[in-house]
Amino acid sequence: MQRISIAERDDWKSQAEALGFNFHTLYGAAYWDETACYRFSLKQIEDDIEDPSGEIENMCFDVVARAVNDSEILEKLAIPESYWDYIRASWMGQDRNLYGRLDLSYDGKGPAKLLEYNADTPTSLYESSAFQWVWLEQAMEREIIPPGCDQFNSIHETMVEAFRNFGIPEGLHRASCKGSDEDEGTVRYIEECAAQAGLETTFIYMEDIGIDASGRMTDLDDMTISTLFKLYPWEWVMADEFGEVLPKSGAKVIEPPWRAILSNKGLLPLLWEMFEGHPNLLPAYFADDPRAADLEGGYVRKPLLSREGSNVEMVRPGAETLTVEGPYGAEGAVVQALHPLPVFEGNHTVIGSWLVASRPCGMGIREDDSPITKDSSRFLPHVILD
Amino acid sequence: MKRSRTLTLALMSATALTLAACDNPEEVAVFENAQQCATQDGFDIKACEANMKQAQEEHVRVAPKYTSVADCEADFGEGQCEDAPQKTASGGSVFMPLMMGYMMAGRSAGVATQPLYRSKDDPKNFRTGDNQKVSGKTGISKVSGQVARAPSTKTSTIRRGGFGSAARASTGGFRRSFGG
Repeated sequence: MQRISIAERDDWKSQAEALGFNFHTLYGAAYWDETACYRFSLKQIEDDIEDPSGEIENMCFDVVARAVNDSEILEKLAIPESYWDYIRASWMGQDRNLYGRLDLSYDGKGPAKLLEYNADTPTSLYESSAFQWVWLEQAMEREIIPPGCDQFNSIHETMVEAFRNFGIPEGLHRASCKGSDEDEGTVRYIEECAAQAGLETTFIYMEDIGIDASGRMTDLDDMTISTLFKLYPWEWVMADEFGEVLPKSGAKVIEPPWRAILSNKGLLPLLWEMFEGHPNLLPAYFADDPRAADLEGGYVRKPLLSREGSNVEMVRPGAETLTVEGPYGAEGAVVQALHPLPVFEGNHTVIGSWLVASRPCGMGIREDDSPITKDSSRFLPHVILD
Repeated sequence: MKRSRTLTLALMSATALTLAACDNPEEVAVFENAQQCATQDGFDIKACEANMKQAQEEHVRVAPKYTSVADCEADFGEGQCEDAPQKTASGGSVFMPLMMGYMMAGRSAGVATQPLYRSKDDPKNFRTGDNQKVSGKTGISKVSGQVARAPSTKTSTIRRGGFGSAARASTGGFRRSFGG
């Protein structure tokens, strides 16, 4: 695993815009960054990222299977009791999951460590799946990188295949919140994948969803919503007025309700409890667990439901404590043993390992100037070259 | 190779790429009733009955609706219509054709269980509630994915705006993404 500085394609911005990648620059700084790329060996990808991701997914299933029948756990995860049956039914009924991103700390040697699982509303899908792929082909063609490079990235093919196998019986509605170009871009890409699988889709803002007299969700044409892809976290659905409508609406939701257990940081101590010592896991405890105080060598405190690094606190021996401000944390927290991200030329690098329909199928890399990855981090492409 | 063999961006891309229509045929099973279904190899009476019951429930929802018997019979034939439980806004009766059979999944996953009808001008064929031709015979058939999908329903929305408040409360509305 190396970070290699390379030339940018001189027309990448116009290409990004032509390909529907409208959030390539954020806060006036590049979010997509191709002034460097990361190089991996095939062995590193297959042995250290791909296989462990599949293994972690299986362990996660064991956690869900246990949690859905354990009210103590569901309470610890701060999931409202009125949704327990709904979540359990979605797991027992094998409601299918679409995609998720495992965030891993990996430096090219030694086992990758799971930092968290974005199992409900993962972002950076489009840039991982599509724009990174286009970059690889063009960078080889323009001799920016050597010929014969590969990439761990069959996300697009796997997404289309997943939609084909989903058995969605009628049109798919896609929803995101008003006010985020990035999220709209992601749900546009979902439309792209679904359409290639032969599915018709309709976009609606979460705020515009209605209900009819029998409690079914409706779109702006008063058509019923039978399958909803929502780029909107489950915990917000559960806090919203219409949340209680969903279990009785007859609609299938993607991600399904049981994913709320995995996108919760409480997953980390549950995994550690069930699979203590697994090479890809870090010691983790609920914050109110007395064992939390025994973590040596620093720890990271994460609210159960935080996103993009918000409200994360990193306590480091011999260095100042880092905190990121944000609105989360009232619901409780976990602590996880500190395993700092590797630093490449001053950049703190995190690996996002993608699973589509639970199959590990790709990777996206983000860099931040600080040890905590935030929503201001940059996305860099990668290559596989032995 | 660890990457996708092809990548198509037909909708997102400014330069329109044309895609071949992707309508995979689905295998469906068509029956007049559960007893007939149970005689088909690989189908058991329990699943047959459950699917028929589901089709009967859907029937009320998706059958074409008419405000006069004459209009309904013009499309479906004399004696082929019944009263629908719905009423018009002014309280008048609503009519719908009799359910003549139902469709369920054969081996394909993407098939919606739904009622089937026979129209007056094409009595040999079963048709879906949104008037798509399915097949003239019972048993296993291949139909286009479009036909296998459930007809969507028009309804009346009573309230909107019940989602989104948690997002505003959590973020103050100043975030680039609500995901993570």
